[in-house]
Amino acid sequence: MEFAFSAEQEQFRDILARFLKDKSPPRAVRRLMATAEGFDADVWRQACGEMGLAGLHLPEAYGGAGYGPVELGIAMEEQGRTLFCAPFLASAVMAGYAVLLAGSEDQRHALLPGIADGSTIATVAICERAGLWSESDITVAATRAGDGWQLDGRKRFVVDGQTADQLIVAARSAAGVSLFIVDARADGVHRSAANVMDPTRKLADIDFDAAPAQLLGIEGQAPLDRIFDAVLVSFANEIVGGAQAMLDSAVEYTKLRVQFGRTIASFQAIKHRLADLLVDVELAKAAAYQAAQQLADGDSATASASLAKAAASEVYMRAARECIQLHGGIGFTWENDTHLWFKRAKSSEVFLGTPGEHRERMLQAMGV
Amino acid sequence: MKILVPVKRVIDYNVKARVKADKTGVDLANVKMSMNPFDEIAVEEAIRKKEAGQAEEIIAVSIGPAQAQETLRTALAMGADRAILIQTDDIVEPLAVAKLLKAVVDAEQPGLVILGKQAIDDDSNQTGQMLAALLGWPQGTFASIVKVVGDGIEVTREVDGGLETVALTLPAIVTTDLRLNEPRYASLPNIMKAKKKQLDVKTAADYGVDISPRLKTLKVEEPAKRAGGIKVKTIEELVDKLKNEAGVI
Repeated sequence: MEFAFSAEQEQFRDILARFLKDKSPPRAVRRLMATAEGFDADVWRQACGEMGLAGLHLPEAYGGAGYGPVELGIAMEEQGRTLFCAPFLASAVMAGYAVLLAGSEDQRHALLPGIADGSTIATVAICERAGLWSESDITVAATRAGDGWQLDGRKRFVVDGQTADQLIVAARSAAGVSLFIVDARADGVHRSAANVMDPTRKLADIDFDAAPAQLLGIEGQAPLDRIFDAVLVSFANEIVGGAQAMLDSAVEYTKLRVQFGRTIASFQAIKHRLADLLVDVELAKAAAYQAAQQLADGDSATASASLAKAAASEVYMRAARECIQLHGGIGFTWENDTHLWFKRAKSSEVFLGTPGEHRERMLQAMGV
Repeated sequence: MKILVPVKRVIDYNVKARVKADKTGVDLANVKMSMNPFDEIAVEEAIRKKEAGQAEEIIAVSIGPAQAQETLRTALAMGADRAILIQTDDIVEPLAVAKLLKAVVDAEQPGLVILGKQAIDDDSNQTGQMLAALLGWPQGTFASIVKVVGDGIEVTREVDGGLETVALTLPAIVTTDLRLNEPRYASLPNIMKAKKKQLDVKTAADYGVDISPRLKTLKVEEPAKRAGGIKVKTIEELVDKLKNEAGVI
């Protein structure tokens, strides 16, 4: 298989990288991670309006730009590189794909334009106690109430759950697991911020107490695996952006730091470590790009999505650890920015499944 | 009204420029290049004029190597309607650029030419003024506000000590300062649309302009490295050093 980005895709990457460099430097990340909402509404509007980021992968019929997983992957990679604080993963990727893949035509028309232009912030609530994106883990109960439904139970690890306007919730009824749309501000929805290690990605726990809900799509036929594959592919691309940022930071610092009268980057032991890391990052990127292309081609991407998530998140952790080590004493201080990426690397390693769980999922998808 | 916007491909503003080992110029091998930031402001201003219904067509023009097409594509993605590349691998000095632009102006007959006040690679700050002189057009340089008023424009200029507003009749030349606007970022759909917009490639010979250099660069050197600072114990010592060592008071 041959894969290369087109000149236009590279140009888009360059422009987006500049936008994020301007709007999401480490000082902005530090400022926003200390806020409850965790993002800058003006920058979010510009990202969704002027740059059309949130609708990049959504069809034009629903207010999107009509591109696919490869272009979304570029957007995610660049965001991961700068730790862009915004509800992009939650709203554009997770909720966007959930509505697109599960919703009826009317529901897509009702929900996706708002997600695409950023005026609606949505998220999905799948995981519960075990933190798994899996039907077997879902205990939140859905029961009919009048013309609609009501939900009872608790969801955990909901990305941007505190700030979302709309929640896409997986719940169990007699027919099996379905997805439901819940107004996040409705009576019976109680949201609390989770205590997280990575403050650049806000998570919430959400309790539903007879919360009014509307069925998304068909009862008992939530396409959780297809949504999960699409989300994983995007997430893996975000992760490799972070890993690349750690490699770049390590290279830049070692070319600057002088010891024994020469830069430490000139020492062979440092060169070898950086070269090994480069190989790892490139392999993880290849896995992430290939998964995005496979999804774009309409093939089943389960194996490649899980492979990409497993490979990318392991490399991100390794890159973050190496970056701290190569920075020496300054590397683990609060003033140095490396810890911001280290924490994102750690949260990305376990969020939506550990590398071990994804290897198992990949093998099952391959029939092994 | 047509607006002509010259754009230059320069070393990216985030890149630390390095001098070639033989000191003949700046090393551009494998260096990221992008549109001169002041030219981006010029493109943005032209687009805003078009969006306000004050212009019908925006033509971006660049003079440089084949890769300058990328710079023009960026201008097209931002909102320019068509582009002209005058392709050359030679170093083109501001006077030659101004002469080529005059030829383009003669051919295209724009009502307004908006240029960056200077390019961040050579910081010449000459092209706009030279073009105005060659055309015999009024010029509003270092613009921080450009307003179309009746048949002319009012340009607020950033000058030493404050702001000066001048009224110009059209056609005219405007050079942009940093605070004129904040250029937009091109979206992916607009990048794709730009691919289909017209981009004509010409040569200096097509316009009959001699671009041979009038200047000779003798040597290029990096600025002297900043020496480390020192702490002084008393004000008297500080005054003494400022007077006798630095010679500034």
